[in-house]
Amino acid sequence: MRRHALSWMCALGALFALGCGRSNSGAGSGAGSGGSASETKAPGSAEPAGGGAGATKLTVAAIAIVDVAPLYLAKAKGFFTEQNLDLTIQNTQGGAESVPGVISGQYQIAFANVISLLLAHAKGLPLQVIAAGNFSTGKAEDFGGILVPAGSPVKTLKDLEGKTVAVNQVNNIGGVTVRAAMRKAGGDPDKIHFIEVRFPEMPAALGQNRVDAAWVVEPFLTVARNQGATVLDWNFADTAPSLMIAAYFTTRDYVKANPDVVKRFTAAINKGLSYASEHPDEARAILLTYTKIDPAIAGKLNLPVWTPQINRASIDVLADLMVQDKLVSEKPNVDALLQ
Amino acid sequence: MTAVARRLVRVLALPAALFALWWIASAGSTSFYLPPLPRILAVFGPTWSARLTSDVLPSTARLLLGYAGAVVLGVGLGVPLGARPRLRAVVEPTLELVRAIPPPALVPVFMLLFGIGTPMKLLVIVSGAIWPVLLNTIDGVRAVDEVLADTCRCYGITGARRLRVLVLRGASPQIVTGMRQALSIAIILMVISEMFASSSGLGYAIVDFQRGFSIPEMWSGILLLGVLGFALSLVFRVFEARALGWYHGLRRTRRGDA
Amino acid sequence: MSRPAPRRASPASRAGLGALGLVGAAAVFELIPRIGLVSPRYLPPTTAMLAALGREATGAAFWRALLDTIHGWALGLAIAVALGLVLGVAIGSVRGLRVATASTIEFLRPIPSVALIPVAVLLYGAQLRSTLLLVVYASFWPILLQVIQGVGDVDPVARDTALAYRFTPWATIRYLVLPTALSYILTGLRLSAAVALILAITAELMIGTPGLGKEIGVAMASSAVPAMYALILAVGLIGVAVNVGFRALERRMLAWHTSVRLEAAR
Repeated sequence: MRRHALSWMCALGALFALGCGRSNSGAGSGAGSGGSASETKAPGSAEPAGGGAGATKLTVAAIAIVDVAPLYLAKAKGFFTEQNLDLTIQNTQGGAESVPGVISGQYQIAFANVISLLLAHAKGLPLQVIAAGNFSTGKAEDFGGILVPAGSPVKTLKDLEGKTVAVNQVNNIGGVTVRAAMRKAGGDPDKIHFIEVRFPEMPAALGQNRVDAAWVVEPFLTVARNQGATVLDWNFADTAPSLMIAAYFTTRDYVKANPDVVKRFTAAINKGLSYASEHPDEARAILLTYTKIDPAIAGKLNLPVWTPQINRASIDVLADLMVQDKLVSEKPNVDALLQ
Repeated sequence: MTAVARRLVRVLALPAALFALWWIASAGSTSFYLPPLPRILAVFGPTWSARLTSDVLPSTARLLLGYAGAVVLGVGLGVPLGARPRLRAVVEPTLELVRAIPPPALVPVFMLLFGIGTPMKLLVIVSGAIWPVLLNTIDGVRAVDEVLADTCRCYGITGARRLRVLVLRGASPQIVTGMRQALSIAIILMVISEMFASSSGLGYAIVDFQRGFSIPEMWSGILLLGVLGFALSLVFRVFEARALGWYHGLRRTRRGDA
Repeated sequence: MSRPAPRRASPASRAGLGALGLVGAAAVFELIPRIGLVSPRYLPPTTAMLAALGREATGAAFWRALLDTIHGWALGLAIAVALGLVLGVAIGSVRGLRVATASTIEFLRPIPSVALIPVAVLLYGAQLRSTLLLVVYASFWPILLQVIQGVGDVDPVARDTALAYRFTPWATIRYLVLPTALSYILTGLRLSAAVALILAITAELMIGTPGLGKEIGVAMASSAVPAMYALILAVGLIGVAVNVGFRALERRMLAWHTSVRLEAAR
């Protein structure tokens, strides 16, 4: 009996050792995991000017998608080091995960789409946009659009009445812009039967005719088109000219406590946005470093528009649509979000 | 106090105490993601009464249907696997392989093979809830009393009768244990199944609240899940008392408690 | 006249049969895309999956992610088991506690760990501790319930004997409760280990903490279908290894247990 108790404790001990042994080395072994907390987490602490006590550590949370290529490009080109910022990019799965992280201080800055930010703002979260993220091209061949399966009888948006349309999230930018496009085409968006499907599963859903249409973004847009799906409509362009899709944001407290850091980050990312816009090939190349997108697809896909100029008018349009689609009961205060 | 009242107190005492603790601890909370309990309770009624027929009932129906499927399949597969060691040896590694894959990763495969509608959701529930039932059935069938098995052979009890009288009845305590575990798993998977290819349902609503930053509503949904799970476990308790009455009595006699 | 008792298959032939089963399953998944039941773009044939797995395994990122996953799994499991043992023995030994906590357990158990994701992210971000929160919460329940059940199954005669010989509480636990509960505990350990792995991967997939789950997520987001399936397969293989390991542990630790049982039967 003693022998077995002993082997039992050894087994448990081995588990512990396996766990704890690595945690000691885990703390140091960065490897892209775990953000290094910024020294300026506590509000009110003074921020040393650039070059003072060394570079400021910053963690930015971003989803590993096409939209954030300028962020990675800016880091690769040293724009952040120029501003004396030591940037770590942390992968997250979406706004729902990065917003809590920003609120709690795990990340200082994050990337999320405008509607998520407006929603959070409407619920009282003190977020603030500090830089533009990405924009629609505003015309045909955008980085997101409504696709129909090959050989589909659906020819116009109005035909979608009574049909199933897949979006990644109904109460977010996909659903809102599809409904806006529908209205513009004279159709009734309430007659659409929306279904939520994750982007990676959309090409298959279209290819197997499980849905009548789907709102898809790159790289899945190109993947689906390669498999025969055709474009029905470019809904971003229908919603507003130069629609700003997403933005980089932080909390109002952080901006108040670290205005200099925010200014430096904004300068660096804006430089990255312009650079990506002028060097699309380099943007495509950097995609291959942080995603597993097939190089052939990366070469063909439609890139979003990247520019440092925040399009306030388009945010207003989205805010109005949110009220119309009953995402919020009253229009969010766009001014407060931007400044 | 009557016996019933005393039982009620015993059952509800700890939850009530924890509830009160939660209330007190969170009452002054300003954290966005951990709102005060009074606020959660305030939104509970309006949120879910509006969603009763559109979300809660369909989800519960899918849950029960998926659970039933898991039980039927689990027992149906578990009996032959438990009785035939060679068959078990062939199938076991493959089953372990599939069992280890998390449902969110299996969903794309399901969507490919079975589409986007209710069948796929039921399959997600079955795919996770079947395991406790299956494994416990196998264990139960394996452990059928040899003496009883020999007795059956002596008396010429074979085939379907043997299955019912010896195998199923003998394994039923284990099977019911598995069914109990499968119930909570089924609820969890019901939520997960509605995170994919859905636009309605209890799980969908909770996740939608989470993504839309409606946090008190989200917590009220989690509360509802707990209530649902608790209610279902009570129903299960009644079922267990009926089905295993003989077993509990037998154990009590053996242990000299009767 | 009487049939000879069926011979138990030797471990070697059992392994052989198991391998046969795996090959059969692999063949099914090789055929489904090839005969066109599902397009090979969405479900690559087994050989393509294995090739992608080979490609993944040559990269250091894969092994780093694997270690991260194992780390989260092992640590979370250890915490859950420790908690489950302590609380389970305490609750199981006292009938009053068992009744009092039953309703609370029934209420908390069905709450999915995935619902805790925003809280985890809020408290810990995409760090190991988020994974741990989910893993511990989910794998705590199987072991707790098994321990409670095991502790409650103590033979009353043995318990009375221990009482008569005035065993100290610690001796009672060590010589009476734990051996009886051992088979339950080991089952619970095996179940918890499986649940812990699933939750570790799920947490990594949905939160983005480092590990194989995160790699699956990246593959999904990049529409790299063969890589995604390769990683899923890898996760399955790890699960098999975990299960085989715990079953072996169970067999070793219960060697005395079953033989005692058999002796009593004879």
